Amino acid sequence: MLSDIITPDLFAAALRMATPLALAAIGGTICERSGVVNIALEGIMLIGAFFGTATVLATGSPWLGVLVAVLAGVAISAVHAVASVNLRTDQVVSGTAINLLALGLTGFLMELWYGHPGTTQPIPTLQPVFGFGAMGDGFLGEVWRWINGVFLSHTPLVYAAIFIAIGTHWAMYHTKWGLRLRALGEHPRAVDTAGVSVARGRWVAVLMSGALGGLAGANLSIEQVGVFQEGFTNGRGFIALAANIFGRWTPIGSYLASLLFGFADALQIKLQPFRDVIDLPPEFFLMVPYVVTVVVLAGVIGRAVGPAQVGVPYEKG
Amino acid sequence: MSESREVVPTQRAWMSVVQKIGTPIISTVLAIAVGSFIIWISGYDPAEAFAALFKGAFGGPRQTGETILRSTPLILAGLAVGYGFRAGLFNIGAEGQLMMGGLLVAWLGVQMAGLSSVVTIPTLLVAAALAGAAWAFIPAILKARIGAHEVITTMMFSHIARYIVAWLTAGPIKAPGQIPQTVNLTESAQIPRIQSLFSEGALEALPFLNLGRAHLGILIAIAAAVGVWLVLRYTTLGYENRAVGLSPWAAETAGISVQWTTVKALCISGALAGLAGGIEVMGLQHRIFDQFSAGVGFTGIAVALLAKNHPIGIIAAALLFGALSAGSGTMQLEAGVSQKIILIIQALVIFFVAAEGIVNWFIRKRQKEAASSAE
Repeated sequence: MLSDIITPDLFAAALRMATPLALAAIGGTICERSGVVNIALEGIMLIGAFFGTATVLATGSPWLGVLVAVLAGVAISAVHAVASVNLRTDQVVSGTAINLLALGLTGFLMELWYGHPGTTQPIPTLQPVFGFGAMGDGFLGEVWRWINGVFLSHTPLVYAAIFIAIGTHWAMYHTKWGLRLRALGEHPRAVDTAGVSVARGRWVAVLMSGALGGLAGANLSIEQVGVFQEGFTNGRGFIALAANIFGRWTPIGSYLASLLFGFADALQIKLQPFRDVIDLPPEFFLMVPYVVTVVVLAGVIGRAVGPAQVGVPYEKG
Repeated sequence: MSESREVVPTQRAWMSVVQKIGTPIISTVLAIAVGSFIIWISGYDPAEAFAALFKGAFGGPRQTGETILRSTPLILAGLAVGYGFRAGLFNIGAEGQLMMGGLLVAWLGVQMAGLSSVVTIPTLLVAAALAGAAWAFIPAILKARIGAHEVITTMMFSHIARYIVAWLTAGPIKAPGQIPQTVNLTESAQIPRIQSLFSEGALEALPFLNLGRAHLGILIAIAAAVGVWLVLRYTTLGYENRAVGLSPWAAETAGISVQWTTVKALCISGALAGLAGGIEVMGLQHRIFDQFSAGVGFTGIAVALLAKNHPIGIIAAALLFGALSAGSGTMQLEAGVSQKIILIIQALVIFFVAAEGIVNWFIRKRQKEAASSAE
């Protein structure tokens, strides 16, 4: 049985499932590092997924869908930026409003454009980048089967997420932008005193998190599921925030934490057919990602400390 | 500037009331205006849509009853979220605590069949509150002891509750038949409808008493609102709750245990949400099924924010959202506008109430200008 569970496609699925979480989590990392809490990621993903899917339905082009998903994410996050940076509203409340707005707006447009609630027509999805077949046999063939299965079987955004994690991590610790971003969340007054605009820095960070949230939505709809379904983000935006915390507010940390959640999700799906061996109702498997999130937050690894000024609106003195 | 300093105290008190009620009213009007705009650019007639909505919410005694019916759990969910907010906690997972309250009542109510309703109903209400409090307990402890953010943990517990209800109603406590749901409560475990209090003759003579599905749970909800108001205003418990909400640091310095207050606040919040679920089962559904709460816990957030967490204001805010919810069906039928517009309006209300910052920003700016000109 174990050899039926521990297969290349289990780990491939983990990478796949981790991708939307990781993209959103890195968005959360950038946003929180700048001092703005973004619990709107759930709604941003939903908006991105919806407008991405609608674009593919209208044009037939998955890549155009990805682009529109990103733009939609940026647009909706601009609302969060206005609220939290300029109007200094409570950022958690503003995020909640956006989550609710996303749920309402996507449902409303769904009925307006497609005449029914629920799920859209299937769309053409982005295909795996490589298409290598089996090679050789014996031990080397087996090694190739694993490498090909786990790492070379993916769609473009799965790889994009890895590059984004590495790229933003590097930028965060090796560029002027990164230094300023980290300072914005720790000591905005210092950034201001140095003559750099706090508002502008936070705006850029919020919009970047919107772009990544939109991309996460695109991955979910245009790469994974192949449809848009009302509310199908199913708490992923919140799990992504937990991944950001578990990853200690760093992009690579966020990616690795997402990988853990992705693996938990992949494993529960993999285990479901073995219900006669593991005698548990299907709902128990479906609960796994949420339970793992709580357990992780419960601080198996100790107390995590975020940026000092996160969630605090900055008032220019 | 100098004029405003000479305002007499009564006038100032009046101004503060206007300021308190002003923002929610302006926010609601703005939200409905933007909602109308969305309806209009979608090719519908906003006037027709809102006329149909009003008809569905207040067009007759039955419709008014429906508004009362929908407002009942919203008052309790709003109180749940509002009580947490007053302690600086955001119980975004009220939905999950509500489901657990409903679940325990649906099961226990059936077990208690045969007992008098004088015993059954109070027991079930307590059970519902306890179930909700229990479901908030772990997030509360995690928040107090290690600072795990309650927004994430209560949300996760909400998803877990959803699957627990799905599992139990599909198997262990499923009623015979195809549909995954529990057995109906016996009459002794049900909260009676308001109209059942009156005789046939009285209902015919006074047709406005014919309130359809509205039940006496509304009285429990209003009593809870008054109770929470009294607790917040006159008890040590309420004082500590507010103190921690205003400044945990100052509260700690004054000798209040922030951790213990946090745990109590989230559990009381959970208890109120659980009560909402229990009353929904006892008064309306009489059983529980998968997805029996269509987002009441989340609407509770909008209710609390619109009322600025004031328990009495929450009754009014819940009536507004209850009316929107009750009328939305008629609106969809008669004007063709999707009910989802209600969610959009809710989001806009939250947004505009929160963006009170706009108003404050202007005030601060003017004060600053006045100060600099005075120098």
